[in-house]
Amino acid sequence: MKQKLLALAVAVGLVVGAAAQAADTVKIGLMAPLTGSWASEGQGMKKIVELLAEQQNAKGGVLGKQIEIVTEDDGGDPRTASLAAQRLTTKGVAAVVGTYGSSVTEASQAIYDEAKIPQIANGSTAIRLTEKGFKHFFRTAPRDDEQGRMAAQTIDKLGFKTVAILHDSTSYAKGLADEANALLKKKGTNVVFFDALTPGERDYTTILTKLKSANPDVVLFTGYFPEAGLLLRQKKDMNWKVPFIGGDATNNSDLVKIAGKEAAEGYYFLSPPQPQDLDTADAKAFLAGYQKKYNEMPASIWAVLAGDGFQVMVAGIAGAKSTDSAKIADYLHKDLKGYAGLTGSLSFDAKGDREGEVYRVYQVDAEGKFIMQK
Amino acid sequence: MEEFFQQLTNGLAVGGIYALIALGYTMVYGVLKLINFAHGDLFTYGAYLGLTLLTSLALTDRLGFVAGVLVLALMVMGLVAVLGAILERAAYRPLRESPRLSAVVSALGASIFLQNTLMLIYGARFQVYPDHILPAATLNIFGLYLPLMRVLIVLASVVMMVALYLFIQKTKIGTAIRAAAIDQGAARLMGIDVNRVIMLVFLVGPALGGAAGLMVGLYYGQINFTMGWVYGMKAFTAAILGGIGNIPGAMVGGLLLGVIEALGAAYISIAWKDAIAFCVLILILIVRPTGLLGERVADKV
Repeated sequence: MKQKLLALAVAVGLVVGAAAQAADTVKIGLMAPLTGSWASEGQGMKKIVELLAEQQNAKGGVLGKQIEIVTEDDGGDPRTASLAAQRLTTKGVAAVVGTYGSSVTEASQAIYDEAKIPQIANGSTAIRLTEKGFKHFFRTAPRDDEQGRMAAQTIDKLGFKTVAILHDSTSYAKGLADEANALLKKKGTNVVFFDALTPGERDYTTILTKLKSANPDVVLFTGYFPEAGLLLRQKKDMNWKVPFIGGDATNNSDLVKIAGKEAAEGYYFLSPPQPQDLDTADAKAFLAGYQKKYNEMPASIWAVLAGDGFQVMVAGIAGAKSTDSAKIADYLHKDLKGYAGLTGSLSFDAKGDREGEVYRVYQVDAEGKFIMQK
Repeated sequence: MEEFFQQLTNGLAVGGIYALIALGYTMVYGVLKLINFAHGDLFTYGAYLGLTLLTSLALTDRLGFVAGVLVLALMVMGLVAVLGAILERAAYRPLRESPRLSAVVSALGASIFLQNTLMLIYGARFQVYPDHILPAATLNIFGLYLPLMRVLIVLASVVMMVALYLFIQKTKIGTAIRAAAIDQGAARLMGIDVNRVIMLVFLVGPALGGAAGLMVGLYYGQINFTMGWVYGMKAFTAAILGGIGNIPGAMVGGLLLGVIEALGAAYISIAWKDAIAFCVLILILIVRPTGLLGERVADKV
């Protein structure tokens, strides 16, 4: 009984304390996977958003008030996320940044929409998220079909005329392969091969032999890095010198370890830029500040996209001159054009999707390093 | 035609590995009528032990490539053999008199245990054999590209299989193994120590599986703790295809499965490769329920 009373007293104290503060700060919610299997992403998101809030407050905050970040853990799990979203809606936040996984974001979307709180997701790339007609939902991450468009464009730009497409039957890889295939055919590029390998095997020489007889200028492989590494290695053993292009699922340093440096050299892949490759002056200053405060680089680009989400929301509140959700959403949809974010320029279309290119082309050099192509 | 032969050699290289692993399944089944589901994981242990010994002892640097790899192979085979014997002692012998299903469940449990132990020791990331250990020579025979290592892998598998066949057919111990496989009770009455025969089977089978693991590691480079599952399933299929319990059957089944996969992928569809292989298996089992070379009816498990 005593414990319950104590807990009640603490709870009342917290609520009263929070209410007392509400008047002189603008609260922005952060929903992130602080625990669970994506914890490193979530911790990175928290560090970045807190640093940016600190910097913004030093410049005077927004609407003449200081910004207060209210963080909730979604555990990288849809059920935990819906609870976290419900807690955030009761805390008087003007906007919410987050979260990482598509299914986790999906579990929270309707809750924020009903509470009329603008939400900006950072790592959720599933197409369906912005096809539901939510007026208050935005994302800084590219959509999955964006990558297919970029793949087709890159193949075109590098001047390849005949293309072989290989996927691994996962929904991600097959989706990307289908998207690229349709776009390439529309452009008149000759797709001479389209098939899937079985992930988890060791020997892909059968597939490579068949690919070789189709004689493509380039092979687009949309699967993951373990298979990509083996393909490159066995391709080299076969003395076949065709270039390979992969998707962002091959952006992993283990790729070079598996393939060996010689076999990996020259391999192209598409990926959002690595944090260390962000090249605008703002981004460089931010990375230096991050390095100083936390003594490390941001773990991934997805966490940096949460920072962009935060900045966009602050810009939205400042632009709308209000914390009214309809005005913020309206401003972001219509008036925010070419905002200079950490990962490049930010604008949003009517669905809340980010406009402009996020993907970059990378190539593996002789040292096995991933070099961003200009 | 050139592509056909290229695919044929691709299939034989994969099939050689399947056959080596299949021998472990079929030997255990022949004597104990037990499917040793942990066998695929012993294969994985061969790959991991090979990596650890290779990097920590620097064998190929000290002894040169040929002697280094031979010593390495003997060490790995010995260690995995001991592991197999421990597995038999711990997971199967206590259940020798129990219903058959108990031993199968124990085998699955042992598989999970072995796999996760490996993950705890080495971590869940992919492990990679060091580059440039193997000669990267490629033979060019009438326009066919045959990496030297593939040829050596097929040769090594064949040598081991022939040695095993001669051991089982021509030696006294081999005769004892065959006798125990036919009728354990009668074998015991003839003065054969059946427990020792079973122990021996659990030494030889895993040793071959371990050697296969080492070859996969050396040639393909990339290994991870779950890889025994795919190879184990394929090898088990190969053992059934050739007639489980029959040693030449496992060899034929393994090589045949590899070739069917390669040709199916080449001429029908890559994505349907496994489905094609299993369809062939079903067709063969309809015509010959005991497998290609099987004589006794596989009636249990």
